[in-house]
Amino acid sequence: MRTSRKHWLLAAAVALTLAACATVPPGPPPEVARLQSELDRLHSDPRIAGNAGPELANADAAVDVLARNARTLDTRAYTQGVYIADRLVGIAEASALARYAEQRGMQLGAERERLVARETRSTTVITQTPVRVEREVVVHDDSGQLVPRDRAELLAMQNQMPGVESRVDARGLVIRLGDFMFEPGRDALTPPAEQSLDSVARVLAGDSDAAIAVEAYGPDGLAVARAEAVRDYLDARGVDGSRIATRNVAYRDSIASNDRRVEIVIRGDYR
Amino acid sequence: MKRYRFPLLAALAVSGAAAAVDRDTAQLELTQAVTAVQSAERDDAALYSPSDLDEAHAMLDSAQSASDHRDWDNVALYAERAKVTGDLASSRSRQHRAEAATAEIERTVDSLRQQLGDAP
Repeated sequence: MRTSRKHWLLAAAVALTLAACATVPPGPPPEVARLQSELDRLHSDPRIAGNAGPELANADAAVDVLARNARTLDTRAYTQGVYIADRLVGIAEASALARYAEQRGMQLGAERERLVARETRSTTVITQTPVRVEREVVVHDDSGQLVPRDRAELLAMQNQMPGVESRVDARGLVIRLGDFMFEPGRDALTPPAEQSLDSVARVLAGDSDAAIAVEAYGPDGLAVARAEAVRDYLDARGVDGSRIATRNVAYRDSIASNDRRVEIVIRGDYR
Repeated sequence: MKRYRFPLLAALAVSGAAAAVDRDTAQLELTQAVTAVQSAERDDAALYSPSDLDEAHAMLDSAQSASDHRDWDNVALYAERAKVTGDLASSRSRQHRAEAATAEIERTVDSLRQQLGDAP
């Protein structure tokens, strides 16, 4: 009788243990497993691992604390921990990718300088050829249509600005400075913008007749400040600021509300 | 360099030390959250990471609402969320700006290579 009771108690204990094991799944909760998987991805990405700063260490630490204590936290603390760890993982990824892009930008900038130097050497002979010759003849484009001579002159100017984003359109020669050529939300020029403007100034300083306008897009105050910053920069490099008109293109005219580009327009005469 | 103390806070939460938050601590959290969200706005997060900025604003609103009700635990909870989400918005803005600038330089380098007849 006593032996059978012992067996019954043992069986009950084993059953309880098995039941307990069955209700607690092995390993971390799914949210923590997802975060660990995200961290594994970041560590195996050479762009991120090679540029990881303190942000990745913080994310590692947060997920580690969460993983070790997930089963003992109450719902509120656990949810908060997952929320914060998730954002820290995002910060780690974005920060590392930003560093990667910045380093790559510096390498490409050096490459651009090298190519610009080669381009300048190779075009010196061409640019020394008097442009007057082009002005005195009718120039045709590939479509066979007549091209106003001033357009040809603008194209010659464009050729003297290697490395500068520009195009010739109905308004004239348009040099574009994207939003990222300025400090975020400010009118301060970034080094790449200054490099572009140096090239523009070298060409315009020797041309006292060109009509120049700086057209800025975006919110009124910022756009005006950026247009004036560009004008002042050119003025300081030999382009008479008094002949540079500045214009704020109204927000409603912009292609999109986040369009904050600035364009320098060297006006064409297409009569 | 930014210092993040969230892992430390997570550890405190684990030990139960973060269960009750006093008014001063909650107000400090709220101030830091406001600073982080303002910083994200200055970094043009409205352009480059609008959903993160919106969420940071929503968390900040919740924290301020909890503050109106003197619910310091929830002030701290939502302020922590607003701060870390504001920092995320700033980081993503920086990433997008850097990538856009690099893509711009890459285009000009490609164009120059073509002009010079170099192989890409």
